[in-house]
Amino acid sequence: MNLLSPRSVLQEVAAALPPDCREAVIIIGSLAAGYIYFRDDPESLIQTKDVDCMLSPHIKAVPAGTAVADSLFAARWQLREDEQWGRPGTADTPAEQLPLVRLHPPGSSEWFIELMVSPPAAQDNDAGHSIRTDPHNPGKQYVRIATERGYFALCSFGYLSLVEEQPILTEFGIAVARPEMMALANLLHHPAIGQKTMSGLIEGRQIKRSNKDLGRVLALAYLAMEQNEDALIDWPMRWAEALKQRFRGDWQALAARAGSGLRQLLESPSDLEEAGHTCASGLLASRRLTPQQLRIAGLRLLQDALVPLEAMARQ
Amino acid sequence: MSRPLTGGLTSRSLKNDIGYEPDACWREGGQPVWVEVKAGTHSFRNVRASLMGLAYLLANDPQSRALLVLPDSRITEERLHAEVRLAEQSLRPEVMQRLSLVLGKDHGYLGLPPDLGKDFRDWLDEVIERESPEGAKPRQFHYAIVEVMLHQWLLGKEPVTTDWLMKTVGCSYPTAARALEKMGHAIVRRTDRRAVLRGFPGEEWARLVSLSDEIRSTARFVDRSGQTRSPQSLLRRLAQLGRDDIAVGGIEGARHYDPNIDLIGLPRLDLSLHCPGRRVDWGFIERLDPALERTEQRDAPAVLVVHLVRRKVSLFQSGADGMQWADPVECLLDLHEARLESQAKAFRAFFEKHREENLRHEMNGSGGI
Repeated sequence: MNLLSPRSVLQEVAAALPPDCREAVIIIGSLAAGYIYFRDDPESLIQTKDVDCMLSPHIKAVPAGTAVADSLFAARWQLREDEQWGRPGTADTPAEQLPLVRLHPPGSSEWFIELMVSPPAAQDNDAGHSIRTDPHNPGKQYVRIATERGYFALCSFGYLSLVEEQPILTEFGIAVARPEMMALANLLHHPAIGQKTMSGLIEGRQIKRSNKDLGRVLALAYLAMEQNEDALIDWPMRWAEALKQRFRGDWQALAARAGSGLRQLLESPSDLEEAGHTCASGLLASRRLTPQQLRIAGLRLLQDALVPLEAMARQ
Repeated sequence: MSRPLTGGLTSRSLKNDIGYEPDACWREGGQPVWVEVKAGTHSFRNVRASLMGLAYLLANDPQSRALLVLPDSRITEERLHAEVRLAEQSLRPEVMQRLSLVLGKDHGYLGLPPDLGKDFRDWLDEVIERESPEGAKPRQFHYAIVEVMLHQWLLGKEPVTTDWLMKTVGCSYPTAARALEKMGHAIVRRTDRRAVLRGFPGEEWARLVSLSDEIRSTARFVDRSGQTRSPQSLLRRLAQLGRDDIAVGGIEGARHYDPNIDLIGLPRLDLSLHCPGRRVDWGFIERLDPALERTEQRDAPAVLVVHLVRRKVSLFQSGADGMQWADPVECLLDLHEARLESQAKAFRAFFEKHREENLRHEMNGSGGI
């Protein structure tokens, strides 16, 4: 993975986008977190290779995704080399077998942008495009887009709509997701420590997907507390509002189980160690936390945010 | 408290039969439970003598069971188990099955049979309180009385009776009278026998300061997170707990009384925990911050320091926001303990300056003087 300046990457991505599409873009993942927590420190770089770029709202995702992809192709962004997914599909290719839009900026292969789409809400059923669910990964969905280079898919995950809640507009005209919403999406995505591993190695090690994503939650909590020691106290109220907004009928059930995966992680030294490894290879690369410190960050998150959220769900 | 002995063995027959009588007997649960308390003992000779006494009793009374309880003992859990094994090798199984050795620790009891429920534990607390403190910790009572007398003096309160002292501290008349007598010329007696300090008791105070860690069972907690929470953050969390047995002391408590006290930034938070009974519930520490870990190192950079207030009446002051504030004497001790000598001197001078005025106007309970 490469060390990137969050501001520089955001600036480059924003500059390459058609101006009228910028407001449809929310940057998520480590770049968003890096921008939020390190933007005032020009020395702070983040270790990542992908820039996740979500198109929102869902109903505008297909035209926006097509426009963004075409615009990037026109600006000589290159498809990421990949034996299986390095070529566009055709009109006959099923959506789940289409490549994702993963593009390198011109002249650089250090990082790539990946276009994603916000999950459909109930009212998006008549959005005019079909949504295919990944048969091997029920939480993952695909939407087909037709670009000048051929057919691609935009993917989405079950709780990704949470990052659409009050994203933070950057000075470059595109928005970044709020850290607490990214954390909640990851928490809900992993109600337990699963056995599924990441497709690639992280710093030479195979890591469980849930450990990587829940490790990200711990990193976000740690960085939030670094900025403001009581920051997590504000999270449960925002989480509850977002859940009510996005999952009205289910919000209490979701809130009640939001902490279950994290609790499992904190009780399992081997899983926590894996999570720590991903943190040390990513957002917390310069912090080098001990497993004990990472665990404390998790306990504080439980105490300040998840237990109060669970209490709200019971009321 | 010990119930009257009815049926089975009586106190008189015990004395006659085995020449020994335990401290108390619980008869609420069907099977009588005899209890012998050996407070503060570290001697195995004492432990074994008591074990033998209880074994004689159980051999004479097959219907009952017995506990030997060791509060405030330095005997370790491991050593306790070893002692039990030795007893098992020497005593008849039907006796040993009914005999338990129990360690009383701050957080509760080790070795207490689980079938003895909460009512029994509450009763056992009372028995231990009755049997142990004055015998085991006379010094603590003495200094508790010094603290209370100083509290009255600093705040310009009226002289007090020995009875009031007994009730405030939770000690017996002889203990209170002995403490006042030991303070000698530092005490002035009014014609009605009420007592008050003549002035600031310098020598007693110096001794109290030097012993304050031990007297107040001071516990220090350090941060293990790498992201130390500020005392203000801990205070906000304390306020959310809504506990009236925990009060803020130290520099923050001193500032409650004297807002002009000179110190930039809070180096740590001092709390006073009121626990007149034996058991200390440390559960609130994790609620304040899961990163806090107790340390025995006095020079460790403690984030939180907790001092136990063992007297019967806490003398805490309730703030308008529900926050409890430790009394000025506790705060003054905290400042000395934190090596904030100039602040301690200024804080004491503040009270001495206002003392005359305080004699006329008692503190109104909302902070400040």
